[in-house]
Amino acid sequence: MRRRSSLPVTFLVPTLAILLVLSMVPTLYAVVIALQSRELSTTGYSWVWFSNFADLFADRRFLNAVWVSVKWEIVTVVATMVAAIGLGVLMFEVAGPRLRNFYCLLFIIPVLLPRVSAAFVWKFAYHPLYGIATYPYRLLTGGLIFDPLSKPGTALFAVASVDVWQWGLFFAVIVLKLLETLPPQPIEAARLDHARRWQIHAYVTLPMLKAPLISLMFVKMIESLRSFDLIYVMTRGGPGVATETLDMYAFSQGFIESGKVSYASAMAVLMMIATVITFTMLWKRVQA
Amino acid sequence: MNSNRLAASLGAAFVLTASVSTAALAQAPVCSAPVKVLAQPRDGLTLLEDSKDEFKKLSGAGFQIDYLNENDRRAKSRADASTVGNYNVYYVDEANVALFASSGWIVPLTDYYPADYDYADFDPGRQKVATYDGKVWFAPLTGGGDLMVYRKDVLEAAGIQPPKTLDELIADVPKLTNADKGMYGIALRGARGSGANVWRWMPFFKAYGGKWFDGDKPAFNSDAAVKATETYLKLFKDSAPGTQTGSWDESTGAFLSGQVAILVESTPLSGMAVDPKTSQVVGKVGFLPPPSPLPGGGYGHGLAIGTKANADDAAKKCAGLFIAWATSKENEKRRLDAHQFGELNRTSILSSKEFADIYGADLGQALAETGKVTAVNFWQDPRWPDLGDRWGIILEELVTGTRTDIKGGLNELEAYANELVKKK
Repeated sequence: MRRRSSLPVTFLVPTLAILLVLSMVPTLYAVVIALQSRELSTTGYSWVWFSNFADLFADRRFLNAVWVSVKWEIVTVVATMVAAIGLGVLMFEVAGPRLRNFYCLLFIIPVLLPRVSAAFVWKFAYHPLYGIATYPYRLLTGGLIFDPLSKPGTALFAVASVDVWQWGLFFAVIVLKLLETLPPQPIEAARLDHARRWQIHAYVTLPMLKAPLISLMFVKMIESLRSFDLIYVMTRGGPGVATETLDMYAFSQGFIESGKVSYASAMAVLMMIATVITFTMLWKRVQA
Repeated sequence: MNSNRLAASLGAAFVLTASVSTAALAQAPVCSAPVKVLAQPRDGLTLLEDSKDEFKKLSGAGFQIDYLNENDRRAKSRADASTVGNYNVYYVDEANVALFASSGWIVPLTDYYPADYDYADFDPGRQKVATYDGKVWFAPLTGGGDLMVYRKDVLEAAGIQPPKTLDELIADVPKLTNADKGMYGIALRGARGSGANVWRWMPFFKAYGGKWFDGDKPAFNSDAAVKATETYLKLFKDSAPGTQTGSWDESTGAFLSGQVAILVESTPLSGMAVDPKTSQVVGKVGFLPPPSPLPGGGYGHGLAIGTKANADDAAKKCAGLFIAWATSKENEKRRLDAHQFGELNRTSILSSKEFADIYGADLGQALAETGKVTAVNFWQDPRWPDLGDRWGIILEELVTGTRTDIKGGLNELEAYANELVKKK
């Protein structure tokens, strides 16, 4: 009979305990202050229980922020995955090994840039008069002005394009490497059956990569929830409230405008609950 | 004899010890650790960093300034001062001094400001802005009112005289816009914030007779506010590209790069407009007070002593010494020599011959004239940033077209103001 070793427990328990403390203490604290009426400008507070949560549902900016967050999540995740798969397949099909390495190096550079730096670079690129990204429009229209960051209809897409520029290109490299690891036999078999290139990818390679692609999508979904820095630098939630996501609005209420930290915490708690439920449901649906 | 010698020796030793102690006390360093400052970028502060050794010699310690742009500085200083208190000195401004003072995040400055540094020499208007509840809270780094800065060549070419009234301004601005040639009649601020778009909107509000509160009752939801907003939005049609979601940097940048005919902005712009290092329109610019009845927006930014990071009196004295030194006549003279117009605050410097030699008589006269119409346009209350920022969001929505109902926006702001009043 083998004796059970206590070594795994010895190694795991301290690490898990630290992780538990680091994740649970701030979370519980956020829940506690969400039930209070704390503000930065006063030391006093009272227990208001669910009043902050009730107020949120009567707050037009909160409801707008929920809608903007949903839009942001859909736009950035879908566009990133489409760009990653499109570019990954394109590199796999048309580029030789040396050229692929060159593209991989090139496509990794944007994600290595700090988010704030990328945001500043693109903010200037979108400048209506001097921006390189708006230059083609000025050239084609004889000097007409296009200011994508100050138009409510284009601001979200302009900021999302920076997110896709960083993550879509990086994911394209991952997709390429995944395609390179596939066994060649199924692809050869499809070719012998006279399948076209797009058919090979649509019906053979990409279904074979379903599991890693879904993992990539989940990584991007989580990453998209943390786009505060990008939005903050490029639009600060504007024009008006057109790009004000939940985290942006929570920060605004907690630290920029009113100092209502309890109100901001209530938003954070709601966001956490919604995220956990949504991700669990999606995960179960994907596994089914 | 021996006893006399002993007495004399003891006496000499006592005197020597006393003198050494006094000298040691006189030379005891005021600061035991570097002074940490949270500020927004200012040319004057950058110049100050060149004289770090001077402060170290004076105080016994150095200083470290962390810079954040205006809105970020406001958010970070509020978060820091109310929680951990990492900074000995905060950069505060007219919009948040009431909040910082009433929350106890800063201490009265004059208690720790060495008398030798002559606080009374600061421009009286700036002293007024630095005063809340009868106490002085900061030493000014910048301040003033508004000036109308205009392109003499562009107005002459269009056959237009510089507008003296608001009606003339409203009529002239569209005539001066020639988008095909990259020229715009005016530049305004669209970006949200009590110190951003609301700051530029407030003179219109006051010019039409608006007022913020009547006692504890909000009084701003009025015809004056509607008319001011309509005028602001009308003028925005001729505002330079990039200003719809921009603030001071964008509007002054557009003027200094030659794209704007008329700009009514805070007084530091005038110094920048005549400086070849920052302006492409040197020699083409005229200065006048804002068109009547627009009042200038009186403002002041400066350095204040943080409460939490300076736990004892010694630390507060150190922070006070840093502020006094940073805003001293000597340092202000260095800023004048470096042609940093917007960083000048002392009467002795502003009225000096050197100042007149550098900036000319026109600007001096315009500054004197605008001083007469400079006013405090905002609600002087700790809750002002909260209310002002809320209006800033609504105004940005109106400017960028995400909402169109001015009255609806004002109703929303009034409901919010009533909540603020109830909470007091």
